[in-house]
Amino acid sequence: MLTFIGKRLFQSLFVLFGLSVLIFFIARVMPGDPARAALGHLATKEQVERVREEMHLNDPFPVQYYYWLRNLLRGDLGKSSYTRRPVTTDLIQYIPATFELILFATLISAIVGQVTGVLAGYFRNSWLDGLSRLVSYLGIATPSFVVAIFLLFIFSQVLKLAPGVGRLPIIMTPPPRITGFMTLDSLIAGRLDLALTALKHMILPAISLAVIHIAQEGRITRTSIVENMQKDYITVHKVHGIRTSRLVFKYLLKPSIIPTVTVMGLDFAFLMSNAFLVEMVYMWPGFSRYAVTAMLNKDLNAIVAVVLVIGLTFAMVNLLVDIIIMFLDPTIRLRTEGS
Amino acid sequence: MKTGYLIGIVMLLVIGFCGLVWAAENVAVINGYPVITADPAIASDWYDTEAMYNLYSPLVYPSPEGGVRAHLATSWEAVDGDFTHWRFTLQQGVKFHSGNELTAEDVAFSMTRFITMGRGNSGPLGHVTATVVDRYTVDFLLDKPSALFPDTLALFFPVEKALVVANVKTPGNYGDFGDYCEDWLATHDAGTGPYMMTNHIPGQRLDATRFVDYFEGWSNEGWGPDEVPIERLILIMETDYTTLMTLLRSGGLDLEINGGWTLPQLQQIQNDVNLGLASVWAQNVTVWMNSKVPPTDDEHFRKAILYAYDYDSVVGPWEEFGNGETGIFLPNMPGYVPIEPQPRKQNLEKAREELALSKYADNLDDVKAVFHFCGGLDFEEDVGLQLQADMAQLGVTVEVVGPPWPEYSAECSTPETTPNMTIFLFAPQAAPTHDYYTYAMFHPNGLGWIFEAHWFFEDSQIINMLDSTRAESNTYARMLTYELLQPLIAEHALAFYPYQKPTLFAHQAYIAGPKETIVFVGPSENMHNWRINLTLKEELR
Repeated sequence: MLTFIGKRLFQSLFVLFGLSVLIFFIARVMPGDPARAALGHLATKEQVERVREEMHLNDPFPVQYYYWLRNLLRGDLGKSSYTRRPVTTDLIQYIPATFELILFATLISAIVGQVTGVLAGYFRNSWLDGLSRLVSYLGIATPSFVVAIFLLFIFSQVLKLAPGVGRLPIIMTPPPRITGFMTLDSLIAGRLDLALTALKHMILPAISLAVIHIAQEGRITRTSIVENMQKDYITVHKVHGIRTSRLVFKYLLKPSIIPTVTVMGLDFAFLMSNAFLVEMVYMWPGFSRYAVTAMLNKDLNAIVAVVLVIGLTFAMVNLLVDIIIMFLDPTIRLRTEGS
Repeated sequence: MKTGYLIGIVMLLVIGFCGLVWAAENVAVINGYPVITADPAIASDWYDTEAMYNLYSPLVYPSPEGGVRAHLATSWEAVDGDFTHWRFTLQQGVKFHSGNELTAEDVAFSMTRFITMGRGNSGPLGHVTATVVDRYTVDFLLDKPSALFPDTLALFFPVEKALVVANVKTPGNYGDFGDYCEDWLATHDAGTGPYMMTNHIPGQRLDATRFVDYFEGWSNEGWGPDEVPIERLILIMETDYTTLMTLLRSGGLDLEINGGWTLPQLQQIQNDVNLGLASVWAQNVTVWMNSKVPPTDDEHFRKAILYAYDYDSVVGPWEEFGNGETGIFLPNMPGYVPIEPQPRKQNLEKAREELALSKYADNLDDVKAVFHFCGGLDFEEDVGLQLQADMAQLGVTVEVVGPPWPEYSAECSTPETTPNMTIFLFAPQAAPTHDYYTYAMFHPNGLGWIFEAHWFFEDSQIINMLDSTRAESNTYARMLTYELLQPLIAEHALAFYPYQKPTLFAHQAYIAGPKETIVFVGPSENMHNWRINLTLKEELR
């Protein structure tokens, strides 16, 4: 197992290197002047030229990449020309906010998606299956930001059942930052009230992000359940009179959620970079918004760092998914160990 | 008896508790554009300036009549009548947020830092050497004469030398001064302004509390009996107006100072008795016409555009919110002169006459004018589409395209790559404002780029007059020159001005202000100029 993980991590390094080269050059050929963006509108031509020199923008691309790589190996991702802070400081600031939100969203989509998928699959062609199908199609077809605006309007503004925007009420002072996870930091600070408030603030944005994934994962689980129910071993178990609950949870669920787990992993990484609109609607100070701001302001160092973080997330989540699948399916485990 | 006491105590507790619950907090949540840095030597855009006017004090203050008035500096003069040597006398007893007194040493240090770093708003100043004359007098020596120098100092915010030196990070780009405290000042303040920063997450949130010892004091003169200074500011930086509307209507937002509202949202705000709208400064919607590429290289063709455009159609429903006529200056700026077309209406007859005089008159079918706007800005696209429809009536094709901002702004770096027409909003954000709308936009040594995307610098009379405005120290005489300049510039039809777009500050009814109206970004957002009515806030809750 350790060899497998080591191999995968080594392969990931190559992927990240390739990604860094690609995005480094793409970011530089994109239209726009990063020096001008860094200095603001009223900068003189001389000021812009001086900053171009400071940023090595007049050097050939390979030389620029050399400087960037050299700094990266020293743990320095450069300075953001937009926030004027080290990019690492920005990432530490923004990643936990998005990570906390999408973890919550993934948890919701995993639970609700699995339950609806199993029920729809087990009671296939029943009214429950039909309802689940209808709701799923609606969920898949509705963009997250539309769900976000709808939920915000109904539950926050009209019914006043849920808090509105942000990670905490605006006038509330956040707990001292330790992990960057608002709920966790509140608990560490001994503020259960703050933790609960932070959790309440996550409900609507997390549901907005989760809806589409609930629908997708529910459909995949349902298909898988239906497929596995037709297999011989299930028929044998049925013939032997095994209880329905035991049949579902012990023999049917495990092999049926393998495709869903794979999709869940991809969804998680996807959310990391695509939560932008929901973060906008809920004023969520997250990584996804930071990424889009970097693109719009031609913030070269931030763009490269953001893409690397997303690439790294994909690589790590895929590795984690592979490990989970190996535990779920012994045949894959044995094959991997054999190879 | 005992029971009576008990009931009394319980009632007192209940009343006290209710009082605690219902007492309106003296805090204002304000939405502005993202404040990236709080360092006055780096702050450059108007949103940074909004923060500057709260945390720092400029050496001189923009005045409602145009020009500047005393602030940190009580007086100034050009030594020996030479505009390269200026002497400023400082107000005594001004305190920094640390409690230390502001002296000439701080001002000279701040100017040296400003010029050495060469960022933010320092560009228009050129090279300046600062020397201390005595504790409250400082001299500035310029590399070239400038009669406008005092006016440019409305964007010069002195910092506390001792605090800056103590927080310098070494090594840095500035020798012994390391990073010149750039990192520290991004998230801390060293100023004398009406508010003190308590927390700053760049681009996200800035918290500040009232500076009780602010040198201009906190007089309640001119304010209502229940209107008191705002104790705590929370400046958030959001751009999604649907969310902001939700926040405003639910009472989570007290004041919005960007004014990006849509028409239906403005109508909702206007009809809500608990909300109000304040209009302070406007932005000049400007469509540059590139004089170096065909077909807009022909003056008659440009004039045809000017007359063909239907000004009424785009302004229409916005008129009640203040959108209307504008020109080279904003209409509420002293010295504003209306320019052609007058009356401000579409005149197709005149447009046809001009078109007939142009060198493209005989081959209009082959002519195509390209109009670029910043992708995503609907109101800019509306102007382009209106012009497209108007020019079609003359048989001229106008192509309307909206590339994203980085591409759009990069196009305007040279005359050859600048499209025929480009549209921008110019807020009064540079000091002095009159110079910004003239010299910076029509002089060969102006700001270039998007500020001069007409690329016309051939009229020596205009250039000489622009030079003379910078050499004239008498505000009245300078204003006369500006009045003469506007029609001269307009004669070349380098731009058309669809309308002025007022920035409407939406606020809760219990927020009052601004007390003073100045056509300049910054003073209107200075929260010393605003008050909160806590009694009304409690009632509205």
